[in-house]
Amino acid sequence: MSAIFSGAPPQDGLGYSFKQSPTAVPSGERQHGFYPYTDNGGSTLGISGADFTIMAGDTRSTHGYNINTRYAPKLFKIGGEGPDNKGARIVLSVVGFAADGDALQEKMDTIVKMYKYQHGKPITVSACAQRLSHVLYNKRFFPYYVHAILGGIDEDGKGALYSYDPVGSYEREQCRAAGAAASLIMPFLDNQVNFKNQYMPGSGTGHDLKVRQAQPLPRNTVEDLVRDAFTSAVERHIEVGDGLQMMIITKDGIEETYTPLKRD
Amino acid sequence: MNHLPQAWGRPRDDVYGAYDHSHFQTAGPIQHTQSPIVTGTSVIAAKFKDGVVIAADNLASYGSLARFTDVKRLRKFNDQVVVGFGGDVSDMQYLDRLLNSLDVRENYSSSDTPMNAKNLHTYLAKVMYKRRSDFNPLWNHLLIAGLDADEKPFLASADLLGTTFTSPTLATGFGAHLAQPILRRSLPDESSVQNVTKEEAVELVKECMKVLFYRDARSMDKYSIAVISKGGVELREDEKLENQSWAFAERIRGYGTQTV
Amino acid sequence: MDSLVARYTRPAYEEEGQSHQDQQELSRAGPELSLKFALPPVAQSASWLRAMTDDYSNPNCPIKIAHGTTTLAFRFKGGIIVATDSRATAGNWIASQTVKKVIEINNCLLGTMAGGAADCQYWLAFLGMQCRLHELRHKRRISVAAASKILANLVYSYKGMGLSMGTMCAGVTPQEGPALYYIDSDGTRLAGNLFCVGSGQTFAYGVLDAQYSYDLSDEDALELGRRSILAATHRDAYSGGSINLYHVKEDGWVKHGFNDTNPIFWETKLNKGEFSNVTSELV
Repeated sequence: MSAIFSGAPPQDGLGYSFKQSPTAVPSGERQHGFYPYTDNGGSTLGISGADFTIMAGDTRSTHGYNINTRYAPKLFKIGGEGPDNKGARIVLSVVGFAADGDALQEKMDTIVKMYKYQHGKPITVSACAQRLSHVLYNKRFFPYYVHAILGGIDEDGKGALYSYDPVGSYEREQCRAAGAAASLIMPFLDNQVNFKNQYMPGSGTGHDLKVRQAQPLPRNTVEDLVRDAFTSAVERHIEVGDGLQMMIITKDGIEETYTPLKRD
Repeated sequence: MNHLPQAWGRPRDDVYGAYDHSHFQTAGPIQHTQSPIVTGTSVIAAKFKDGVVIAADNLASYGSLARFTDVKRLRKFNDQVVVGFGGDVSDMQYLDRLLNSLDVRENYSSSDTPMNAKNLHTYLAKVMYKRRSDFNPLWNHLLIAGLDADEKPFLASADLLGTTFTSPTLATGFGAHLAQPILRRSLPDESSVQNVTKEEAVELVKECMKVLFYRDARSMDKYSIAVISKGGVELREDEKLENQSWAFAERIRGYGTQTV
Repeated sequence: MDSLVARYTRPAYEEEGQSHQDQQELSRAGPELSLKFALPPVAQSASWLRAMTDDYSNPNCPIKIAHGTTTLAFRFKGGIIVATDSRATAGNWIASQTVKKVIEINNCLLGTMAGGAADCQYWLAFLGMQCRLHELRHKRRISVAAASKILANLVYSYKGMGLSMGTMCAGVTPQEGPALYYIDSDGTRLAGNLFCVGSGQTFAYGVLDAQYSYDLSDEDALELGRRSILAATHRDAYSGGSINLYHVKEDGWVKHGFNDTNPIFWETKLNKGEFSNVTSELV
């Protein structure tokens, strides 16, 4: 089906001006037959509120149809102290190829720690976000196969959330789902967080309908949305399940929770 | 760069050459270990309340040929760590030498605390990831079993891509399909580890080795098994599968030309 | 011979794991925007990269980079209008509807984003750094011609490696007046009055060429920019979201909103009687 809608016309047809017919595959020796990526499945999501940011991810790790383990966290505290990252204020979530994800997380953790040692103050989320973009782009020609989301509290005390593509284009957003079930969760979030396609009741019919304006949601509402998003994704995606790890970042620190999900 | 609207921004064939699907295939001329040659099959392991049990058979296959029948695939690193190797045997031997030199270095250094299983797993995972990033992988799937810094059971895996994970039970290769479900029946989660004794865990792993021998064509009935606990490592390298029952084979019908 | 002996007498572990250099690099606070990129250790890195990331030739490619755009900019007597849509697509998936495709290089220079989103963000940030350095070194603002040439030379040095960007640099300087340049990842750099870039470029050109005149008033010029993007979002599946509108003047740029296309479309249809191909009956 996707082949029909890919929009790729036969490339040997008439071109506009230049030669379009496929020339030979680049010549020279193809020495390596090793494919360095795999997809470990799973999904992550982040929602920012007025004074908090919630990051969440399931804990299943897959390889094809096999479940590697039922507990492999995708959420990492960045730049705290000691092995448990005490006092951290920034959370990075990575989904995609887990080994690349771990490498990226370790690199960011070191960078944020070094920043604190060298500047004598913790890094701001916006600076950390930009740095992450550059770390990803430094592998532009051999990308990290990951979708990263970074969450924290900005200088004004508001929740901050940044999302990335594999080579480092980034954007600050209200909410973002990534990974295997992104296409299941993101439309739900559009509707429930940004109130997309919601209208004010009684504002009329047809063209008179007034759009319902989005506003920052309270924390317990967001927590419920996250749980609903994941319990629903588990029902319809085989790579999502086992457990839901959540990190709630506020000015007082990071609260971590774990809720079991269906393990089938 | 292609400027035609339907392919805007994508590479142009007359500049980059045609799209080359062969990058996804694992065939072609070979330089490094691009596919394993002499291989070992599954390694399986399970935690119990005071430690970890790990087992692997003693066979190294050359394709479908059972080539070497006394290859020990469990390697004791020190009194609290054992590494199990699945996959290419030559790369296993290289890693063995690497671990030897690491051990020598560790023993020369002044630190009193020996490397624990967690440390060794981190090290091996880095080696594996570095090699995959060089497109020159060590074609192995490793299980690292032992005790961590708090002397709690530790079990984790690292594969040729550098992927790592930990679980109360782990199995590589065919074992991931056949043994893992059996192991998970007794050890569904981390909390259940406390309810399993050493004897039960050994029995469970032996049972899985038997199931693997029944169905994995690249396996053998001679195997090694190691138990790691506070008391140290008990490694037995010449075990034989006992109490085999091939009665189930009688009931198998419907393969190939057999119809009744 | 010595090197051979050295190589084979070295202990095996020296080559494994992180090298000393890698570790040093981590702890150094090196320049953030660097020109050092990791390359895949294969003979044809560009071909390999393309195999992994070209979602057009292979819709099932593993790594899908955010793409797809309509951007436009044109010069007129009141300065320069810059307008873009805000959709990013990865394959057929709409990755975002809220992308900021106008990149504020500094308070007088704007860049637009088409093609690989990361390529544009990174290289325009890099350009911003170069422009600031120019200011500090020469004690005056960089000309748009010079800025665009820095960018063009940079991307030209990466030609054939797989970068994908089509960008416009717009700015007004005392020596040049309003200046507009188009730069793409092939290394092309063109000065001009009017450019549309991206998968929706043809639709935007259609509207823009029909209505364009150098003597447009500020209001008419802004409306033309908006209307051209609207036409493109209507007909190009890879464009949509919101309309991002900027006006560059002598004393810097002014932002004229980031507005959802949907209400703009219905207003254009119902109040101006355009888009008569679309029905307004809601049955």
